[in-house]
Amino acid sequence: MIRTTTLSFAALLLAVLLAAVSCTKHGFNSRLTIAAIEGVEGEALKQAAVDYEKFTGVHIDVVQFPYANLFEKELLDLNSRTGAYDVIMMDDPWFPRFAESAFLTNMQPLLQKHGKDGPDPDFIASSIAVCRHPYQTGSLYALPYVGNSQLFFYRKDLFAKNNLKPPATWDDVLAAAKTIQEKEKGPDGGKMYGYVMRAAQGNAAVADFMPIFWAFGAEMFDAQGKPSVNSPEGIAALQFMLELGKYTPPGYVGFNASEVSAHLLNGTAAMSINWPAWISAFSDPAKSKVIGKIEFTTLPSARKAGQAEIGNWLIAIPRSSQNSDLAISFLLWATNSEQMKRSAQRGNPPTRKSLFQDADLVKQFPAYPAQLRSLETSRPRPRTSRWNEIENVFGIYLSKANSGELSPADAMNQANAEIDKILQRAGR
Amino acid sequence: MPRSTRFFSAPAARRELLLPYLLVAPALAVLLALSIYPLLYSITVSLQQETASGVVWTLAHFKRLGTDNFFRTALVHTFVYAVVALTFEFLLGLALALLLNQQMRGRGLFRASLLVPMMLPSVVVGIVWRLMLNPDFGAINGTLKHFGVNTESLTWTASPRLALLSVIAVDVWQWTPFVFLVLLAGLQAIPQEPYEAALIDGSSRWQTFRHITLPLLKPAILIVLLLRTIDLVRVFDQIFILTEGGPAFATETISLYIYRTAFRFFDFGYAAAMSFVLLALTNIISVVYIKLLRQ
Repeated sequence: MIRTTTLSFAALLLAVLLAAVSCTKHGFNSRLTIAAIEGVEGEALKQAAVDYEKFTGVHIDVVQFPYANLFEKELLDLNSRTGAYDVIMMDDPWFPRFAESAFLTNMQPLLQKHGKDGPDPDFIASSIAVCRHPYQTGSLYALPYVGNSQLFFYRKDLFAKNNLKPPATWDDVLAAAKTIQEKEKGPDGGKMYGYVMRAAQGNAAVADFMPIFWAFGAEMFDAQGKPSVNSPEGIAALQFMLELGKYTPPGYVGFNASEVSAHLLNGTAAMSINWPAWISAFSDPAKSKVIGKIEFTTLPSARKAGQAEIGNWLIAIPRSSQNSDLAISFLLWATNSEQMKRSAQRGNPPTRKSLFQDADLVKQFPAYPAQLRSLETSRPRPRTSRWNEIENVFGIYLSKANSGELSPADAMNQANAEIDKILQRAGR
Repeated sequence: MPRSTRFFSAPAARRELLLPYLLVAPALAVLLALSIYPLLYSITVSLQQETASGVVWTLAHFKRLGTDNFFRTALVHTFVYAVVALTFEFLLGLALALLLNQQMRGRGLFRASLLVPMMLPSVVVGIVWRLMLNPDFGAINGTLKHFGVNTESLTWTASPRLALLSVIAVDVWQWTPFVFLVLLAGLQAIPQEPYEAALIDGSSRWQTFRHITLPLLKPAILIVLLLRTIDLVRVFDQIFILTEGGPAFATETISLYIYRTAFRFFDFGYAAAMSFVLLALTNIISVVYIKLLRQ
């Protein structure tokens, strides 16, 4: 009696197991799971997935995470090789980490299966370069989906009023900031600031500083790959940042993108570096007190030509995915001209040159010519798998210098030493 | 033969002997799976390092603790945070408990409204205070401006000097009610007789408080201090929402640094090593409190 119970229980268990196995073997083959970012970038991919399902019958699950969680979810999954995701969306600074750990599928052979020798030449070169490992020269491990790069925002009405020419150099920016802050008032008669930047530790401070750092001729690593942020150029760049800080609203060492945009939208600051995602807000009457008054341009120069930081969203196939053939078909479809145009209409800058020049899109997004120039001349954050750690440390010291806790030279020397420690640990 | 069959066919006496083990087995299994195994695993993680030639056993993570300036600073912040917040929460909580232990009108309303902050999730508290402390659009500076205070330099969480103070103030706001609640319960459990005796002996109010209330309240005080200390040492959520450790590292506590190391830098070994330091700290504190409680 007892034995029959045990036996029948074992049989039941076996049946359940078999059912589960057969399910993974057949039932799930025509389905894909995508890890995507929340917000407009991920939403566009989700819409593409819905359309793709209608055409092909392939069922696609899109799982969306906020920015802070997406990286850790993906890294945990890729590290343990569960194969939970067939397609992942990633911010381009994460790419070296994923590619170096051999977590991603090399796309070259998959493209060949589709009769292509490489990515479409219509993709912008700087966007394809961040999809290759090593940078620019290596194999292709991702496709660029959203073509963000920084832009310089300024109040053209105030520039015209004060006879200022459009800011071409960082010295122009400083001079204009000074003039505007002295002569202008905010919309409610309050204070008007010449500039606004974010210097909250981490990503924020570093993103707003890199264009100044590069324009001053500084480099994060020298030719031998040793950190060199404390070079004379690097220290001069930080000194310049503090100078600009005098024309930035107080408390900017705690600012993130939302505070910067709030000041611009309220008309209490005249210039800033920002990302294209904010452009549409300036023509929204519900949010903006400066409709039609903001101009978008490429980043100012100093000793070297101004360069924006690239911040593309990439899509890739984890090596642990069981459905790479299906995944590549979807990726090629989602990044084709027609689909990317739809994504662009939803508010995501494209990564194809032809779309930046597309008449309908330029009409909808007048900043496209400036965005294209910025993206084509943009440069990536240093390509290292330790970027998160380096950015964190660098940001802390930039923040400390901006709050007056450390002098620019001390901040850069200490940052250099800490970055060196990180590299040494990585090399061990 | 499978074990279960042997159990059912065993003689009654032996079955009785095995039964207790069988009954605790599920609890033990859960404990093993959810507590003991992860603990052992994190010990191995903290002692391993991935190198080009594979995983090696090493003490490097623990050695790094000694040379890591950020770790030391985070430890100091955690200590300051815990001591200052605990002091204020205790003193305010005690004062409120003594006040509301008396017969007065509207006591129930006061008690109930005092508990609201404690009921809110820390994330909500973080977001609400983040908005209130915003230097430009926040309610706090808005109110101060209304009274003619120059708020230009009062940037609260964005100022390296005021940030730690600001996050401590939020913690005090949120958790004083908890201290108050426990102490009030403690006060109400004290019998009336000693007070009556003291009254007859002509004891002053301070003497009554010092020699009757405090000693009889001691168990409640120690329990609430123990719980609050452990929570303060491992504080994470409000600070994460309010400042994310910034500006310029001014509010980075151990928990935030551990989180960053594990999930942003993906260095689980070092994060595990730091977690053991935190575990050791909370254990030492607990032992001290429990010793005091037993006296």
